[in-house]
Amino acid sequence: MADYIKYVDVTKCDGCRACMVACKNWNDLPAEPEEFQGSVQSHANVTANTWNVLSFIEHEDSKGNLDYLFRHSSCFHCSDAACVKVCPEEAMHYTDFGTVNVDSDKCVGCGYCEQNCPFDVVQLATYKDKNGKEYKKAQKCTMCVDRIEEGMQPACVTTCHTDAMEFGTKEEMIKKAEKRLSEIKDKYPNAMIYNPEGVGGTHTIYVLAEKPSVYGLPEKPKVPTSAVVWKDYAQPIGKMMLGATSMALVGAFVSSKLFNKEGKGHEEDGGGSHE
Amino acid sequence: MSKTQYSGVKVKRFSKGFVIAHAVNAISFFALYITALPMYTEWFDWLYPVLGGPEGARLLHRIFAIAFITPTFIWLIMDPKGFLRWGKELVTWKKRDLQFFTEFVKELFGFKFKHVKQTFFNAGEKINSIIQILTAILIIGSGFPMWFPDLFPKAVVQWAYVAHNIGFGLAIAVVVGHIYLSVIHKNSRPGYTGVITGEVPAEWAKDHYTEWYEEEVKKGNFPDLDKDKNKKKGA
Repeated sequence: MADYIKYVDVTKCDGCRACMVACKNWNDLPAEPEEFQGSVQSHANVTANTWNVLSFIEHEDSKGNLDYLFRHSSCFHCSDAACVKVCPEEAMHYTDFGTVNVDSDKCVGCGYCEQNCPFDVVQLATYKDKNGKEYKKAQKCTMCVDRIEEGMQPACVTTCHTDAMEFGTKEEMIKKAEKRLSEIKDKYPNAMIYNPEGVGGTHTIYVLAEKPSVYGLPEKPKVPTSAVVWKDYAQPIGKMMLGATSMALVGAFVSSKLFNKEGKGHEEDGGGSHE
Repeated sequence: MSKTQYSGVKVKRFSKGFVIAHAVNAISFFALYITALPMYTEWFDWLYPVLGGPEGARLLHRIFAIAFITPTFIWLIMDPKGFLRWGKELVTWKKRDLQFFTEFVKELFGFKFKHVKQTFFNAGEKINSIIQILTAILIIGSGFPMWFPDLFPKAVVQWAYVAHNIGFGLAIAVVVGHIYLSVIHKNSRPGYTGVITGEVPAEWAKDHYTEWYEEEVKKGNFPDLDKDKNKKKGA
């Protein structure tokens, strides 16, 4: 199946926050009252129960003018996702559409995904079972995979009234982003397409008016080297070593039985065995 | 089973402090191993229900993690002399230690071998100790950022997972060998009863740790087996 991408043109966003409401609404996410952030922004970052946050950035451009920048933020759905790599339960997985999803039945709440996401998107939500015992599950934007499966678009995209967001095939959306970039370059000389290679490209691509860091985004996000060392080297070698030592000892056991049938084996210098 | 016959004369090899520290170390290591297995590989996911779900496994892992830190202190407090001797022996390496390994490989695979004179800890035990110390530092040191990620920078937490994995991988490989030698391999098996009761057969101790045995004989702590043997022969 073709890869589907959410295209976000932040220069068209007017900060209405309808995408946040639509996300909460469709996904039945509980309200999370927050302290005053010092700006119109409601939440500091996405959380386990707020998968979509509209960020408001007061920015001084190169000419010294104040620019008010908006960004719809949610999971990037990386093609080479650190969360998928480190998940020990295969709960984090790629869907048929190329997006990344959590299988809640498999998730054990270990938090490895939370620690390794280069965008700080994945977080653990706490729940209580019927006996009052607490347990945790990783939560994040699903790109409304349940809607996509039914031929619909993600709730945030459907609700966006300025067409700042669109959803479609990878080629189509990248073409759109490139065209838009050429249109806005005069007004925003620092404008760029944000589709970082360090995570294999993402399934939410942005046309940003300014450098990523202005939007609080890492300039060059990548799958943490530690995650690669851990999952691609340390763990397989560990399993191999356990196997190799066990086999060596099975060999030693068999060999001892073959060559040392009487249970005797050692010689002493200048003397016979005491056995 | 071994047909090795010992005269029944036993000598004290391990102090009470060592016996307790060793037991706490062994039990907590295995408890940590079992409670972590389903997180390490999905082959062992069936252990989750046994351990009370992922939350139960995590709680048990943390309880045993604390137990795993204690043996060093138990031994140090209860038997500081023995602990210091261990430390001293670990940094003392002589030619005989290297000779030990050539003979040990023969012994391991059941071929004829010679005993190379060893002190309280033989070269194999020294290597085992050094690897266990390094892996314990890796495992315990990395465990803290994993347990309390909010107190550490993100990069430290991320590298802690790597260190925990490497530490565990090395430790388990060494532990498999350590257990094989103590429980299954017949020539070293008396060592196993030794770490439980503190006592080992005198002849076995003399063969395997000659230099230490002879020192103790000089001090008058252990019977001089050669003298006894000569006496018997003469009788």
